[in-house]
Amino acid sequence: MIATNGLTKVFRAEGVETVALKEVSFRVEKGDFIAIMGPSGCGKTTLLNLLGLIDDATSGKYFFFGQDVYSLSEKQQTLLRKLNIGYVFQNFNLIDDLTVWENIELPLIYLGWKRKARSQRVAEVISSMELDYRKKLFPAQLSGGQQQRVAVARAVVAKPPLILADEPTGNLDSLHGEEVMNILGRLNNEGTTIVMVTHSQSDAAYSHKIVHLFDGQIINENITKGV
Amino acid sequence: MNIIGLSLGIAVFVFIYLYVQSEFRYDRHWKDYDKIYRITTEYNLNDQSEFVALTPFLLADRIEKNLAGVDNATKIFFSDPSDVNDMSTLIYNDEVFEVPDITLGDSNVFRIFDFDFVEGDYFSSLSKANSIVISTEVSKMIFGDEKALGKKLKTHIREYTITGVFEKKSRPSHLFFDAIVSINSLPEEDTKIIGSDWFWMSCYTYVKLKSGRQKKDFQFELNEYTNDQIRKYVEQEELSIKGYSNFSLEEIYDVHFNTSLLYDNPENIDKLYLFVFAIIAGFILLTASINYVNLATARSLKRAKEIGVFKVLGARKRQLSLQYISESLILTTLAFILALSLVELLMPQFNILVGKDLTLIGSLFSKDGIVFGLLLVIMILVLSVISGIFPAFVLSYLQPANVLKGNKLFISKEGKARFTTAGLRKLLVTIQYIVAIGMIISTIIMYEQMMFLKKQDLGFDSRNVMVINMPQDTSFSERAHEFIDKLADNDSIEMLSVAGNLPGYTSGRMMYYTSDSTNIQSLNFFIVGSNFFKLLGIPLLEGGSFSEDEGHAKERKYIVNRAAADTLGDDKIIGSILHSTTGSSGKIIGVVGNFRFSSLYKGVEPLVIMFSDKRARYVLLKIRENSRATVIAHITKVWNKYNSAQYLHYTFLDQKLESLYKGDYKMLSLFTYFSLFVIFISSLGLYGLSSFLIEQRTKELGIRKVLGGSANNILMLLARDYLKLVALAGIIASPIVYVLLGKWLDMFALSIKMRFWEFAAGILLVMLIAFITVFIRARKVMHEKPSKSLYFE
Repeated sequence: MIATNGLTKVFRAEGVETVALKEVSFRVEKGDFIAIMGPSGCGKTTLLNLLGLIDDATSGKYFFFGQDVYSLSEKQQTLLRKLNIGYVFQNFNLIDDLTVWENIELPLIYLGWKRKARSQRVAEVISSMELDYRKKLFPAQLSGGQQQRVAVARAVVAKPPLILADEPTGNLDSLHGEEVMNILGRLNNEGTTIVMVTHSQSDAAYSHKIVHLFDGQIINENITKGV
Repeated sequence: MNIIGLSLGIAVFVFIYLYVQSEFRYDRHWKDYDKIYRITTEYNLNDQSEFVALTPFLLADRIEKNLAGVDNATKIFFSDPSDVNDMSTLIYNDEVFEVPDITLGDSNVFRIFDFDFVEGDYFSSLSKANSIVISTEVSKMIFGDEKALGKKLKTHIREYTITGVFEKKSRPSHLFFDAIVSINSLPEEDTKIIGSDWFWMSCYTYVKLKSGRQKKDFQFELNEYTNDQIRKYVEQEELSIKGYSNFSLEEIYDVHFNTSLLYDNPENIDKLYLFVFAIIAGFILLTASINYVNLATARSLKRAKEIGVFKVLGARKRQLSLQYISESLILTTLAFILALSLVELLMPQFNILVGKDLTLIGSLFSKDGIVFGLLLVIMILVLSVISGIFPAFVLSYLQPANVLKGNKLFISKEGKARFTTAGLRKLLVTIQYIVAIGMIISTIIMYEQMMFLKKQDLGFDSRNVMVINMPQDTSFSERAHEFIDKLADNDSIEMLSVAGNLPGYTSGRMMYYTSDSTNIQSLNFFIVGSNFFKLLGIPLLEGGSFSEDEGHAKERKYIVNRAAADTLGDDKIIGSILHSTTGSSGKIIGVVGNFRFSSLYKGVEPLVIMFSDKRARYVLLKIRENSRATVIAHITKVWNKYNSAQYLHYTFLDQKLESLYKGDYKMLSLFTYFSLFVIFISSLGLYGLSSFLIEQRTKELGIRKVLGGSANNILMLLARDYLKLVALAGIIASPIVYVLLGKWLDMFALSIKMRFWEFAAGILLVMLIAFITVFIRARKVMHEKPSKSLYFE
């Protein structure tokens, strides 16, 4: 599904160059659940941002379903992203001025779904995430766990084949963290590919494969059982 | 950019301020200006009132002799202000000089108006016949540095002795003349008729009242006296006039603002315009200031962290406040210096635009310059404090921990705080757009009206008609016929006619009545030569026209226009006899179509046309298309042969007609410039607001992109709110414009109807500009990778 070849990312700030990723090559197959682990500043989030087309690589190649992503225009990249990728952030990144319902509905609006289809799908996802009683609330009125459930709901609403999760439980207590991980596990079981950055061994235990990063390079890949 | 925006705003404010101030300075520099009045006349005949700036010749003398509390009264003739090409000629030692405005006045002129005399004395300068007083400019032109007093100047009529040289005031006045001749130079037979007629409005009368004399009381006594005199006059002359004359006093400093009188200075301006300009100026300054404060405070949000750090390091509130206010003071002062430099730099262009001679330095060091200077200083202080106070107080009062936490400081504590500042900013932007849209729509409508006037069917054909001013010297009449024959002798000239009056130039008025009617009417009259109607393509509706050899006819004949035929009300107008109150009479031989002989402010009035080739002031030439250069060369040659002692002056009738609306064109161009500027400054404001909001929403925009929002989605999201604001502003502005412009259009006899599209176009145009403004600011964010905004702090 995904293949990177020599992916490198260099940040330049005020004349200082920082190499965040150094020639990273790895593959993600359809249905995988991959955890990326490593110490702070090793390039985990940078890698996830490149995979999610949130940022551009300095060099290297990135193939999505065999398509050379960097040969696409900005418009085509946007299209590829909205059709294929759902994103879950550590700090949820919900839009404060929109209600739970509106936050979840947003990707469908950008995909150009008709109102009726949108309502049906949003209702379905809200129900599956057990958010029915909170759909009219604003993010600030929810607990952290509830906010992350909204974020997950928003990531899956358009049924993307790939979900990228950046420390999805990082801001949650263990109870709410487990809740979110269970949802991700369930989605993976239903066929969604998941790539997740995490610090937590217990979260990583949900994955099929752990990729260890250090100083911007992959140092090893372990196969795990998954839960 | 912030400083530049403010500087431009201040610069435009200063320009308008200087302009409006200069208009309000008219005639306030005379000694005892609050005691000087101009007398104007309302004369009513057959229940129709006309308001004129002219008065009877005898009024000034009668007032002085018969009414109490009069310090002085004077009468002045002005050269016809609409005949801009009428240059008068003065001859000294056989050398010919041209002076634009020579007028006639009695010996009291300089006793009321305290011109400074360089030579001679003001008191006696105009007492004797054949005296002339000239301006220093004319003196310099003719005599250089030599003394002028006592020297003789000739016109084509008689010789004058210079009895005084006065300094033209640098301050504006509605009284303008370069030379003034004593009124008793006029031959006695001329002044005898004019000097006894209460219905012949011929000159301007000014009166200076003694201290303590009330205007109202004086005006009452004046009318009591004149009514009595007029009644006696009517009885004595056995006139059957149904009507009255009513005289009013108007303050000398208000004359410049009176646009309602006939035969008044066309440079007069309605105060309404000045108030509109003052409002625009105030608004521009306000907008520029709002934008400046908006941008400054938006930028200071970025400094929230800096303030936090200062506080952690132990800075006190007062220290921080002082730092920000003094920073702001320096920036604001810089903006003012830049603005005033800009004003000084662009002043020549602005002077051309408004037709004035303003200087910034002159205004600063004038009598009321102190007010202007003080205003500038106050503006600097107020702006510095307001734009400095936000970071100084609001930010420095925040708790350091809150500030250091990040960029959410405005929703963290009160929850709704961010909404209020954004709401206030939106309100300010909406107000700006109300004015911007109002001005754009007004400009469109004014332009439409001016174009409409231009395209009007005037009832005659003004194309390719050249007008030459005839020499007024008495000796010329012997050569006139030959001169005219020679002028006509060119292939490029299709037709020629002489005329005493022309469309677009002021016509005279006289009282007429027909034999079988007792009603006396005040009607306009024109004096024309043969060919006049044919040359201008004015259709003859009934009867006949003047014949080629009308000059030799024994009887006087008249032609009237349709409106006069209707007013005179005779079924059989052709053949009836028309009498004037001056004693002449003649047969009406024809009726012509209603051509527009005066400006389009007025409807077509009744007009009586008589024939005279002796009283011709103009020669009209109908020339072939594209033959101007040939014709000019030809007439110059002929002119120089017959009139080498005078300069040739010519114009084209269509240009002359256009110049009637010079004031309106000036207003149109001022409006155009000001609306462009208001649009520009509102766009700056919108740019500032969108910068502020985009910065606040940076993260949200990143999230939206991750969720699949395209560049266009982001742009529409940002622009939508502003477009709504602009549309709202349009809805508010439209009815205001409709009412105000409706009043302006009412001033014209012929005017357009305001149409929906003019309003829609104005609103859409401003919406487009607003959209482009947001686009320019949003462009970067639209195409940025979301990672930049997602991790934006």
